Amino acid sequence: MGAFVRVLASVKTALEGGAHREPNAHPGARVMPSAPVVAPAANRAALVSSFARELEAVGGHFTGSATPEGLSAQIIEISDRVGALTVAIGGDGSFDSEPVAGALEQSGRDVIRCGVTADEAARRALIERIARADLAIVEAQCAIASTGTLVVTATPARPSALTLIPQALLAIVRADRIRADAAEAIVALGAETIANHRVAFITGPSRTADIEKLIVVGVHGPKQLHALVLWPADD
Amino acid sequence: MASTHNNFDFFAASEKAIGDTELRRKLANASGHHLDAAARTRAEFPRYDEEREAARRIKAEAIGRLDELLLQLKQRLETNGCQVFFAADAAAARNYIVGIAKRNGLKRAVKGKSMTTEEIELNPALERAGVEVFETDLGEYIVQLRHERPSHILTPAIHLSKEDVGTLFHERFGMTYTNEPERLTAVARDNLRSIFMTADLGITGVNFAIAETGTLVLVENEGNGRFSSTLPDTFIAVMGIEKVIPRLADLSHFLEILARAGTGQKITTYTNFITCPRGHSELDGPREIHVVILDNGRSAMLADPVMREALYCLRCGACLNACPVYRRIGGHAYGYPYQGPIGSILSPNLFGSGAGFLPFASTLCGACREICPVKIDIPKMLLHMRAKENRNHLKWPRGASRARRAVARFARLAKRPRTVRTLSRIAAWMIRPVVRDGYVRWMPPPFSAWTRTRDFPAPKSAPRRKPKSGGV
Repeated sequence: MGAFVRVLASVKTALEGGAHREPNAHPGARVMPSAPVVAPAANRAALVSSFARELEAVGGHFTGSATPEGLSAQIIEISDRVGALTVAIGGDGSFDSEPVAGALEQSGRDVIRCGVTADEAARRALIERIARADLAIVEAQCAIASTGTLVVTATPARPSALTLIPQALLAIVRADRIRADAAEAIVALGAETIANHRVAFITGPSRTADIEKLIVVGVHGPKQLHALVLWPADD
Repeated sequence: MASTHNNFDFFAASEKAIGDTELRRKLANASGHHLDAAARTRAEFPRYDEEREAARRIKAEAIGRLDELLLQLKQRLETNGCQVFFAADAAAARNYIVGIAKRNGLKRAVKGKSMTTEEIELNPALERAGVEVFETDLGEYIVQLRHERPSHILTPAIHLSKEDVGTLFHERFGMTYTNEPERLTAVARDNLRSIFMTADLGITGVNFAIAETGTLVLVENEGNGRFSSTLPDTFIAVMGIEKVIPRLADLSHFLEILARAGTGQKITTYTNFITCPRGHSELDGPREIHVVILDNGRSAMLADPVMREALYCLRCGACLNACPVYRRIGGHAYGYPYQGPIGSILSPNLFGSGAGFLPFASTLCGACREICPVKIDIPKMLLHMRAKENRNHLKWPRGASRARRAVARFARLAKRPRTVRTLSRIAAWMIRPVVRDGYVRWMPPPFSAWTRTRDFPAPKSAPRRKPKSGGV
């Protein structure tokens, strides 16, 4: 407590001794407007195509769009392409992930489901299993068209490890949740979500340019990033 | 401030660096690469200047309300379940962090790139307390293996070629020599994977701390920051007091300019929002989050109306890439963890008078001010600091007082045009035997100090001092 008081006192003294004090709220100050999560339908196609273009530009793969009925088949096709034998799948999304998990199992794959673990040993064991997955599948909360970014929030059934540790990541995003830019995505996400979940903006596969500025993909996080756009049934 | 940074001989280090043509090639390559990419991305983004203005306005507001925002941030972080520690100086921050490691019995730390932890010299303190410390940003990992310091705030291994890294990995890991970045990166990935999975302490810096929500925002490209803040049970974020921004809605303005200025990306690969420790039913995320908020000279900068603006700095690295001095001498010659133009301002303020020479390591060309995404007037601050340093205790290097006397003598001479003309004619005549293609390539001592490294343009004819009649 002592240190806090001391630092704050020096900050206060410094501000009061300074030339002028900034007004409390500057003209640009904005209160978070509450925007609908759903993007207007007219823009949707344009936003999807911009998202796809930007995703490819940062080394991601746009794997097209799917209807709810065709989703499982398309995910299996992507798993084939990636060569994934072990697939970790996250839940807590807008669609039921269980039919997808079942279809993946039927196709002969080992499927890791994420959820609450009984104890510390089980928790660690699940993280170890996720680490050995060839592919992870999660639904993104929303996406950003101007940068090809996927916005993923962490929940018990959709842990951060999923989007970080496996070799490849497939993110599914609903077409009506693709926002124009970061500002809109943050508004759509809302202070409530950010206050209660770890959130990651993911733009392309993990990369580095630390050796002579030469870009290498897959330094720590996923080496491949695939994104699939899901068109809701009412469209 | 007792620090190993002090008593560094900038003049010797920069002279040595200038002579290293290989270093200059690497710096020109890397910083040129960044500058070109950044210019391209900005050209494609018509709103860039608008976002820059907005970001600058928000920073001005945040710094002007720093006391209330820090209080709000502390309260929000604590409500979210994080533990907050304010450190008046580097030693307090180090002691607190070492204390956590001891109390929790921590043995293995993974670190994301953080210049603030370089500033407080955290690694040696943790190592003395028996904690293994692994830098996990690829560039930081490489410089740590070489027992060096980062030479650029954004690209720590900018001074190394792929051959240097190949040789290092060959010697350290016994792998077959290769200079292919893909294979070298793959080796680092494998080595660090097992370390991430077993580390019990994660440490990173913070790019933005949102007071409104009590959220730490960390931007990065590799994913090592995510690993460090996700897998270990204990996570410590270290930030300067100036990193706080008022509202969540402010963040997008910074995200739009930060990577565009630094690396030329539109946005970094990862933007991590960290607000609360792992919930009961969650699989991952740290169980304990500590946020160390560091003053260490920053409130003194805040008190100086001219220096205050330096606290707007986002650490994007753009001014290093644009600086003609940095591009010739590299980061190590500066001797401190913050290099280049902004480093020449921060270091004397954070590390004390030992760094007092750094504001003189600039041509005041203004490239840094032009490129700065929040338009910090770096040259103005450098001049301000030069004046302060001159008034106080500046010890000029050997030879400098001789140079000053020589300039004074020249000033007296220049007031006598006829003498100057006569002397010039004599000099031109004397030089004639050594002129080749309009340049003097050799002169006897003491003038050889110049011709050893540069040619001297030969006078075309006797210099004219009187304006022509009717001329301007």
